[in-house]
Amino acid sequence: MLGQQLLNGLTLGATYALIALGYTMVYGIIQLINFAHGEIYMVGAFVGVLMVTVFKQGLVVSLVAAMLTCMIIGVSIERIAYRPLRGSTRLSPLISAIGVSIFLQTLMTKVQGPQPVGFPHVIEDAIYKFGSLEITKVQILILVVASLLMAGLTFIVKYVKIGKAMRAASEDYDAASLMGINVNRVISFTFAIGSSLAAAGGVLVGIYFNSVSPLMGVSAGLKAFCAAVLGGIGSIPGAMLGGIFLGVAETLGIAGGFDLYKDAIAFTLLIVVLLFRPTGLLGRPIQRKV
Amino acid sequence: MDTIFNILLNDSIFKAFLNDYYIQVLTMLGIYLIGSLGLNLITGVTGQLSFGHAAFLSIGAYASAITSLKLGMPFPIAILAGGVMASIWGILLGFPTLRLSGDYLGIATLGFGEIVRVVFLNLSITGGALGMAGIPRNSSLTLVIFVVFFTIWAMYRLENSRFGRALVAIREDEIAAEAMGVNITNSKIVAFALGTFFAGVSGGLYAHLLTYLNPSDFGFLKSFEFLTFVVLGGLGSIPGVILGTSILTLAPEFLRFIADYRMMVYGLLMVFMMIVRPRGLLGGVRLSRVFKKKLSQRDKASATGAN
Amino acid sequence: MKKNKLWKVMSLMLVLSLVLVGCGGGGGEKKAAEGDKPAAGGDTIKIGFLGAKTGGHAAFGIPTLEGMKMAAADVNNAGGILGKKIEIIEEDHGSKNSEGANVTQKMITRDNVVAIVGDPTTAITKIAAPIAQDKKVVLLSAGAVGTGVVEIGDYIFRDTLLDAVAAPAVTQYVKEKLGWQKVAVVTSMNNDYSVGLSKLFKAALVENGIEIIVEQSIQDGDQNFSAQVTTIKEKNPDGIIFTGYYTEGGLFMKEVRKQGIKAFMVGGDGLLGDVLMKMGGEAVEGSMVYCGFAADENKAGEKTKKFIEAYKAGNNGALPDMFAAQGYDAVMLLADAIKAANSDAPETFRSELAKTKDWEGVSGTITFQENREPIKSPVYLLEVKEGKFAVKDIVDIK
Repeated sequence: MLGQQLLNGLTLGATYALIALGYTMVYGIIQLINFAHGEIYMVGAFVGVLMVTVFKQGLVVSLVAAMLTCMIIGVSIERIAYRPLRGSTRLSPLISAIGVSIFLQTLMTKVQGPQPVGFPHVIEDAIYKFGSLEITKVQILILVVASLLMAGLTFIVKYVKIGKAMRAASEDYDAASLMGINVNRVISFTFAIGSSLAAAGGVLVGIYFNSVSPLMGVSAGLKAFCAAVLGGIGSIPGAMLGGIFLGVAETLGIAGGFDLYKDAIAFTLLIVVLLFRPTGLLGRPIQRKV
Repeated sequence: MDTIFNILLNDSIFKAFLNDYYIQVLTMLGIYLIGSLGLNLITGVTGQLSFGHAAFLSIGAYASAITSLKLGMPFPIAILAGGVMASIWGILLGFPTLRLSGDYLGIATLGFGEIVRVVFLNLSITGGALGMAGIPRNSSLTLVIFVVFFTIWAMYRLENSRFGRALVAIREDEIAAEAMGVNITNSKIVAFALGTFFAGVSGGLYAHLLTYLNPSDFGFLKSFEFLTFVVLGGLGSIPGVILGTSILTLAPEFLRFIADYRMMVYGLLMVFMMIVRPRGLLGGVRLSRVFKKKLSQRDKASATGAN
Repeated sequence: MKKNKLWKVMSLMLVLSLVLVGCGGGGGEKKAAEGDKPAAGGDTIKIGFLGAKTGGHAAFGIPTLEGMKMAAADVNNAGGILGKKIEIIEEDHGSKNSEGANVTQKMITRDNVVAIVGDPTTAITKIAAPIAQDKKVVLLSAGAVGTGVVEIGDYIFRDTLLDAVAAPAVTQYVKEKLGWQKVAVVTSMNNDYSVGLSKLFKAALVENGIEIIVEQSIQDGDQNFSAQVTTIKEKNPDGIIFTGYYTEGGLFMKEVRKQGIKAFMVGGDGLLGDVLMKMGGEAVEGSMVYCGFAADENKAGEKTKKFIEAYKAGNNGALPDMFAAQGYDAVMLLADAIKAANSDAPETFRSELAKTKDWEGVSGTITFQENREPIKSPVYLLEVKEGKFAVKDIVDIK
């Protein structure tokens, strides 16, 4: 049974990781906890449903459409709600983000109704058995898509020019802009990538749990944010590790009889990790400058 | 003594010219003001991020509800018990976590807040998810206004004391403050204890206004609500926090006329106000300047406010 | 100079907002002065809707409001009562406790409602009820099922099927008719309804000699139940008692079937809604739900049938759920009590409402006991058949 629980945890963790990446990349560059990110994930899931039900598209087209839509939404939010606040106190964009989040949530409740919507059937419920392990087709899909997206992201960040610029801006914002990097473009790009990953997460979770609702972004966003911090916020491999770590820990925690305290597991872990490694598992240590 | 008490607990003065709806809304505003002034001490004055303020409200609320319901203590003692209990937990949380810096402290307090909520959800003395009902409705507007004025006075005195200046020094530059001989850990913990005390008092009053408590009312969203009050009003500015809290708690009531679009407009309003006044509505305005205008003109160059 | 100017602007804003508050206050003051008691004698009879249109409980509030509006329209089209029309005052509390109290006060003191229908949840009902009791306004909850609601005072009513009545009847049914010997109990821990219902079921299970072999907890809003289901699978129960809401119920059964467990689920009316099938798909086939109302056009009586047709016409063919039916019944109950009392003063029609006996509503027959707790008969035991709720059996309550 342990193997089965691990596998379930891994699937859950992969979706956390997809959302966590958006948090971590944005934080790495502009030190903003983008609290509207969970809502982007929610919108992504709804766009996925819309593509399948109204436009009768297949899985791949729906996934791509959700990612593109959220890319545009994410970049626009940054332009409207965060960019004017750059250079002011650290907390003002945070409040602005909360405002955006309230807006998107109520907008979707209004448009879509408060009831959760089931995700239409896009893949059949096939189960594959490996010994005592059972893996569903949806789980395979999630693991494959998540790995592909993360591999793609790693490639962009490591080898593509704009990715290198992202790393530079994350390393030292001012120096990067002095070196002739168009930081505004880099930030827009970061929001684009982060939002599209969250949208992909939303569609995948929608398919996995067959449920999409206007409030789904709240707890998923919070958990993913935890994952990002757990792994070391600002660090891309950290977000992946943190997501998977959190997913597995939560699943094992429930299996181990702590189901009452399931939501507390993530946060207890978080506090413990922070106390011993104040910048997360893979985070860079903070330098106190005099 | 009894008569004084009766006047405090009975809104006969306000009932003459305000209906119960306004009394309810204003009492709630007062309760939120106490809580947000507490948070302002932690986040605004001392610069320590707290994303878990609602947890301290819930600790205060439950502690005072238990004191008055299960132990049968009088109302003022119940409120104090709420404040003290929240403060104790503030200190307990503060010891290990206040050495974390910036956002990490915020995240740790956020985690603490969620843990507290889950614990209350599973605790039998608080009724778990069923909640606690039948708390006496004792929080009157008169009493709340009284407590609000006491809180403002206390905060004002604190801000202008040697200790208050030490807190501001910590916010502005921790290392420099340490070099100047400020005991950083101690000061932070005392600030945390005081801030959470007021959160607890606010929670106690909240419990005795609504008469019913359940844990889902104190999620992280409520913590962010308080943070929004403080940031939007102006971090570290007492008049700012008062204005911010007033606008944001009254706005949902004023916006009732737009019915279904109310919360959408509320969200947009938050973004809009932040963009127009990035440092908060009254960022950098100090209470002393409201009264001593001349003085304020002299030191206006130095009063650039929170960072 | 700049700072100074800013300060002036700010004080101006403050003064302006104070004036605004003052004006609003002034308006309210007049009304309050005219009659502290919510006055009888207006042009319309105002009934307040207390519920959520946004936030986590919107799914209960919106259909309740829909049902209420239909009832008001029906009464008004038939000429109203006492020569007046019913007006529904709707406010949204956004699923927040503190705003629940605000809304209650507003409807009573500013809108002068004579009765409030709501809240669909037990929690906010418990916040609103003491206020309504204090102001002597009738509060009729169309959804609160927890304990300690009507005990708050003699102005507090509810028109729901009580689980304390239904759960034992259903437990007896699964033992006698389905032969269940050992069961799993699944509770949603952050849902007060579920926690309360699990208690009732556990007591009834013990009484009927059914063994509880495994208990699992979930949370509302959870989407992943693989761990809990894996644990249940090891114990192999005859049936699953699931006390949470439909969203989680559907997803839970999906996981149950995915892991190859054959047992069926039985639960309370928290599971009743199309969402169960949307979430669960084929996995919820055979799941059983008891409730006080079922929108089954083939078995419904004349009155209910008409309600279902009207609801479908107004909601793009969607079937009414329990909340819609109870919201409808709540307004109708109030209307009938006002008619019987020949007065829309709460003090007067309150006692007529308390006398309600064998009252035929769209959601069943309602009798208020001495303590104002409703007895609703019958209990419908529904079963999911081909993606639809169908009545499996009807259990009469004596």
